[in-house]
Amino acid sequence: MELLRILGEGLARNRLLAVILAGFALFPIYTGIADLPFWNDLAMRIMILGMAAMGLNLVLGYGGMVSFGHAAFVGIGAYAVGISQFYGLDNGWIHVLISLFACGVLGLVIGFLSLRTTGIYFIMITLAFAQMLYFLFVSLEQFGGDDGMSIDRADFMPIDLWEPLRLYYLIWVALLLTSLFLMVIVRSRFGVVLEAIRSNESRVEAMGLVPLRFKITGYVISAMICGLAGTMFASWQEYVSPDIMHWTRSGELMIIIILGGIGTLAGPLLGAVAFLLLEEWLPELMLLVAPAYAENWMIIFGPVLIAVVLFARGGLGGLIRRIAGGG
Amino acid sequence: MIAPVLSLEGLNKSYGALQATRDVSLDVVAGEIHALIGPNGAGKTTLVRQIYGSEAPDSGTVRLHGATVNHLSVPQRVRNGIGRSFQISNVLMEFTVLENAMVAEAARRGEAFRFLRPAFTDRGLRDGAMAILARVGIEARGKTRVADLAHGERRLLEFALALAGDPALLLLDEPMAGAGPEETRHMIEIIERLRGEVAILLIEHDMDAVFRLADRVTVLVEGAVIASGTPDAISGDAAVRAAYLGGDDDVEA
Amino acid sequence: MTFILLLEQIFNGLQLGVTLFLIAAGLTLILGIMDFVFLAHGAQVMIGAYAAASLTALTGNFYLGILLAIPVTFASGYLLEYLLIRHLYRRNHMDQVLATFGLILFFNELIRIGFGPAALFSSLPPSLSGFVNILPETPYPVFRLLVIAVGLACALGIHLLVARTKIGAMVRAGANNETMTAALGVNIRMLRRLVFAAGACFAGIAGMMLGPLTAVEPGMGEPLLILSLVVIIIGGIGSVRGAFVAAILIGVVDTLGRVLLPVILRGFMGQAAADGAGPALASMMVYILMSLVLVVRPSGLFPPKG
Repeated sequence: MELLRILGEGLARNRLLAVILAGFALFPIYTGIADLPFWNDLAMRIMILGMAAMGLNLVLGYGGMVSFGHAAFVGIGAYAVGISQFYGLDNGWIHVLISLFACGVLGLVIGFLSLRTTGIYFIMITLAFAQMLYFLFVSLEQFGGDDGMSIDRADFMPIDLWEPLRLYYLIWVALLLTSLFLMVIVRSRFGVVLEAIRSNESRVEAMGLVPLRFKITGYVISAMICGLAGTMFASWQEYVSPDIMHWTRSGELMIIIILGGIGTLAGPLLGAVAFLLLEEWLPELMLLVAPAYAENWMIIFGPVLIAVVLFARGGLGGLIRRIAGGG
Repeated sequence: MIAPVLSLEGLNKSYGALQATRDVSLDVVAGEIHALIGPNGAGKTTLVRQIYGSEAPDSGTVRLHGATVNHLSVPQRVRNGIGRSFQISNVLMEFTVLENAMVAEAARRGEAFRFLRPAFTDRGLRDGAMAILARVGIEARGKTRVADLAHGERRLLEFALALAGDPALLLLDEPMAGAGPEETRHMIEIIERLRGEVAILLIEHDMDAVFRLADRVTVLVEGAVIASGTPDAISGDAAVRAAYLGGDDDVEA
Repeated sequence: MTFILLLEQIFNGLQLGVTLFLIAAGLTLILGIMDFVFLAHGAQVMIGAYAAASLTALTGNFYLGILLAIPVTFASGYLLEYLLIRHLYRRNHMDQVLATFGLILFFNELIRIGFGPAALFSSLPPSLSGFVNILPETPYPVFRLLVIAVGLACALGIHLLVARTKIGAMVRAGANNETMTAALGVNIRMLRRLVFAAGACFAGIAGMMLGPLTAVEPGMGEPLLILSLVVIIIGGIGSVRGAFVAAILIGVVDTLGRVLLPVILRGFMGQAAADGAGPALASMMVYILMSLVLVVRPSGLFPPKG
């Protein structure tokens, strides 16, 4: 009961998040009427990337730890599905457990080793660990090496994912649970201390708390959320390759967070919407304006990123809040 | 006999060729205000850092209530009863005054590692936090973001946070630095009120404040204790006059 | 594995090492003294390679092409700093990562538009395409030797510049300490711009030398950028000397690993699998090396003083 009260109060304070989650829940109704099944596919991708970015945002936005290697956890989550299937384990629920466990342990080890460093060293060592995992999977020939491995849509008994929209709502529920979980912990004592550490680590120490304990806990949680996003990704794409762990993917997750609004609950989701819509629409826009260069839409996207950094403090979420006039 | 709250024995600390602390021995007993003075670069802050645990001495022992704490980290020493205010205000700038105190209150209660209930709407935490702020009289500024506070109020908040854990020993590193006369007077009043409640090691350049507050004064010059005693004894000490008080423009008396 | 083959690979490792050093030398100063996370340094490598390749094609002379390309890379670094980078110094690392990530996308696409997505292959003049005996009966490509020589010469030049000149002293003093350097009568803005331009120039030279050895293509700088970041971390951020030692170390470890690991792995698995897994594991070794260094020395092998 108390949990329900906490959740209700939390959603009331995070209306933007509630609206976005409701939007994703209702979206298939629109695509069903308008007969745009392709958009469901895009929406699933947005939810998965948004979920991963929300996980990263816990350490990046709330904890102030600039991790440049979180795509590795998404990859581990996806490979957990592929490798389990390779060994004949088809149950999707078990995949999720394996992925959460693997990412939790890996997050603990990487977090423990990386969080000894700060600043640029931390950015670079998290990047290095991700590269290590990337090359590990490139080298694992039995799991497809560079070419990756195909994955069967997992068996989430009793849900039949081959029925229309079942996968969509499975992803939606995962996103919902992730959002609610993060919403609760960022407002909890733990979340508040995590933010306090970002603001001033030595003051937190002076209160008798051990910052490392909070940072590692946050790091492990965020790794597990990225792992969950990875398992969803595997079922959505029905394929996984080391590319999912490439360092540019970690960069994309950071872009999504900044684009949407760092250190806010709804930010990463907004950012994922914006990022994938830009990816979808920029080529079409180029086709209209400069047809010869339709494939070169990155020439616009790069400067857009720079402009966001230079001029759009607080990202899209900040913009919406300013327009809505709320605090 | 009861062990002093803090007792230092033969502390030494060098940075390369520079010896910042030379064989320092010093006691702070329960209830006293012990001032540590000395010219700039005398090694006062280095000494405080060794007591606090953010710097390890090369040799010597730091004892808290008679027990050696050399091997303890900063958070462990804090939990064992050390509170500290820093030379440069060290508070949570992006938080409000009340939120600062609420984080401190959660830490004090040992409740910081909890994940479910929202922290900032918790009545118990709020009441505890208000009590923390009330000790220095800034409870009315609770809703103000620290970044928007005036310098003096920030010092008061810092002071409140240092007191929040009910420390047995309070390390105050230049609490009057940069404060105006009005704020200094207020600060002296607050420290005066704490006399007897908590043992205080006070580092201060404002000699007026030092001689009004201190029960004992220790003078540090080039890392070594050159004199220690009552304020009267210290102000009459020839060595101190020669080394420090006499004609040194550091004295803002 | 014969001794001669091993020697050849050690030379290849040296050649990769000096190339990495040229990229890392400027970047370590940018990261260290300006505390600026600059991910687009790989683009400077690419710009250098393309400038040399196209100017060689234009003039018909390899040496002239290189000679003309050097000022181009210097100018590109100078301009980039002036137009964008200087607005980012005061931003946090996260913003810097993102903005320079955007720059990577922009430059790669710009090159793709200008030169097409396919790789350029530039040929060497006859005088450089031969072999020379480094030991009796041990031929080694002249151009690779030249790369090592040029790399070492540049390294010496950079060392003298940083250790012996007044500008170098300012750089070592820490260019981010504005009040201090300003008190010494230095134009801090200009100093940063010069470090940036010089860094771009050296990265560009690395690209020019890689051009004839590998494919000149969009995105060619990124794998090198990541490797140079490893070099910088191992060497200690801000330390040119550390970057040199770490670059040679990484160059040799990476190259030898690629050759030796498949041989070792053949003992455990089939030849095809070993040949597939070997290079990837060699790439991993570099990162394992880096984590080991950081576990033992969290600020790298040669942390700059202060």
